[in-house]
Amino acid sequence: MPPRLPLRAQRGLLSTNTPPCRILLHRCYTSPAATATPEIYDVVCVGGGPAGLSLLAGLRASPVTSGLRVALIEGQDLAKNKLQQDASLDSFSNRCSSLTPASVKNLQEIGAWTHVNAARVQPYQEMQVWDGVSDARISFDWDSARSQLTPRRPAQPTTIAYMIENLNTTTTLLSRLAELGGVDTFSPTKVDSIELGTDTEHLDLSSWPILKLSDGKALAARLLVGADGANSPVRTFAGIPSRGFDYNRHGVVASLKLEGPGWGGPDHNIAYQRFLPTGPIAMLPLPGNMATLVWSTTLERAAKLKSLPLNDFVAMVNAGFRLSPTDLEYLHTMPSGQTEEIAWREKHTPVNERSIPMRVTDAQSGTVASFPLKMRHADTYTGERVALVGDAAHTIHPLAGQGLNQGQGDAAALVRTISHAVQTGQDIGSVLALESYNSERYAENNAMLGVCDKLHRLYSVESGPIVGLRSLGLRAVDAMGPLKGFFMGRAAGGM
Amino acid sequence: MNPLRHTFISRCRATANTSTTASLEPPQLRYLDIGCGGGIFAESAARLKGTRSVTAIDPSPEVLRIAEEHRRRDPALVGKGEGGGEGKLTYLGMGIEDLKGYKAGVKGADGQEGYDIVTLFEVLEHVNAPGPFLEHVLQHVKPGGWLVLSTIARTWTSWLVTNVVAEDVLGIVPKGTHEWAKYVNESELREWFAKKQGWGGNGGVQAMGVVYVPGLGWKEVNGGEAWGNYFFGIRKEG
Repeated sequence: MPPRLPLRAQRGLLSTNTPPCRILLHRCYTSPAATATPEIYDVVCVGGGPAGLSLLAGLRASPVTSGLRVALIEGQDLAKNKLQQDASLDSFSNRCSSLTPASVKNLQEIGAWTHVNAARVQPYQEMQVWDGVSDARISFDWDSARSQLTPRRPAQPTTIAYMIENLNTTTTLLSRLAELGGVDTFSPTKVDSIELGTDTEHLDLSSWPILKLSDGKALAARLLVGADGANSPVRTFAGIPSRGFDYNRHGVVASLKLEGPGWGGPDHNIAYQRFLPTGPIAMLPLPGNMATLVWSTTLERAAKLKSLPLNDFVAMVNAGFRLSPTDLEYLHTMPSGQTEEIAWREKHTPVNERSIPMRVTDAQSGTVASFPLKMRHADTYTGERVALVGDAAHTIHPLAGQGLNQGQGDAAALVRTISHAVQTGQDIGSVLALESYNSERYAENNAMLGVCDKLHRLYSVESGPIVGLRSLGLRAVDAMGPLKGFFMGRAAGGM
Repeated sequence: MNPLRHTFISRCRATANTSTTASLEPPQLRYLDIGCGGGIFAESAARLKGTRSVTAIDPSPEVLRIAEEHRRRDPALVGKGEGGGEGKLTYLGMGIEDLKGYKAGVKGADGQEGYDIVTLFEVLEHVNAPGPFLEHVLQHVKPGGWLVLSTIARTWTSWLVTNVVAEDVLGIVPKGTHEWAKYVNESELREWFAKKQGWGGNGGVQAMGVVYVPGLGWKEVNGGEAWGNYFFGIRKEG
């Protein structure tokens, strides 16, 4: 069935923003007939990030699917990219995520959570969110989210989410996989090409993706899982378009040290997010006096922030939670001397210190970085013998911290779909068997993408009636416990 | 529809598992699929862990060729059936009248060992004389094994669906494919088996009604066996 490849590749080219050259090279340089007989696998997962690893751990942990022959291909060296068990608690990676209770529950169910480095995980119990233009504020905690008539249940959850380094999540999953065994791991190994197999006398692999690896091996996949990130080569192979746009914003991240463990004390941690017209600035608690920053802002301001000396950068972060949007605009234009200028301006801007994060005293060197903010959504998550999970399927604005959780939700749903297919003797790569995965996850992720995108747009407005309306909205939601509970339930993963 | 077939078979086996209850190893079942068509059920049964072999028969050479072509797409299914290689699946081009039946004490590949599961999916409604046909089919069930079939009840709803909706409105089925008068009701099957010695004792009769919901696929409906498509399972005692 040779026509499928070029045609699909063309379609992929026209409708995606991913650089197409790599894929084209693959197609041109590889001979159509497979030379060596490929190794036959039931599931080949490309990409060893949190979503791919969670999928494999889920498949290995269940007696229904543990009989499947599975492989993992990862371009990086997984053995080297591990969190050291005795890593210092004064130093944190700048790539952190907010794991929802639903994600943690899934990690518990697949037996991974017992492997987590718990000293480096920080649960938080409250969120403070406010409008940088009008100062309208909403606070989220489970206690204020109930209606005033219902008494507080002792079993009611108090944790909204868990701050964790992505490296801790992947190391946790790798430990669980090592314990389970049975995954043929190719790492560090790149995928040189993916093309459909051939129809020989005994076997018709013309619907099977054949992966040629940089170590010369060839694998045939009954089901090829693309857990290979936003520019997913698997998605391109399957000819699945991914649509979306760039926000023209960067997320500036850094690991920060604060003057104390937070206003709530060691047992009550608070996450802060202030909506500025350029994007939200968020400070999320890490263990001890540490915290992690995600400041979404324009490309120019992100570049400016990254170029500042650490003391000026620290002053700018403190200003980001305290000074007015006008002050901040001016501060970004100063060539140097932000620290002194901010100290002077703060004297004239009274704030209630207890309602904003504690002062940043230091930023960990080497952790100030930025990444572009995008929204992408694949047209579908499944094709014949292909399924997409995580960023390969969707990329979201980070303002609600849902990206990694969506990937975990995808992995858990795909495990359920594969399980059902195995139990009923279906070919797990067939479109029919995969249908339930697509229908379960697509709508849910699409709704979340839409909400986060609209929030971003709503708070990009600096003046006019929208500021008044959105402030009214925040105050109204804040006053209504049950409605707040609904929002929090969504943020916590549909509990 | 196909996943529901397995759901129903599992349910049948669970209700009357008399002797071998707590075995940790999955059972090693022998299946006979009568009127296998393109092999959708036969393939899925052959992929299950607890399957020793699947013998699938159909008298039509054209559909068997399609089935043979399709199984080549799955490396897990290629190779001869029982004893002849990796694969557990064997297609035979014949009607049930030509297959040797079960004989007590005989083991081997020719079918005389009998089968744990004999399936007859969407076949009965095309048969002119269901009684004599079923007699042939029953010879192949091992003692303790099940005959599992699916068909459609002869009711006003099924008359409407078959003759008007499927053929005239949707056009998904060629005209004249189904003769409504040939349809067999679940109550008729129950009656027929009640008169037979050695069948259906100790809860060994099961039925499940199913309905096709556009957009959702086939779904189970309580009591649906009385008015539309249904599964019927009966156990040979012993």
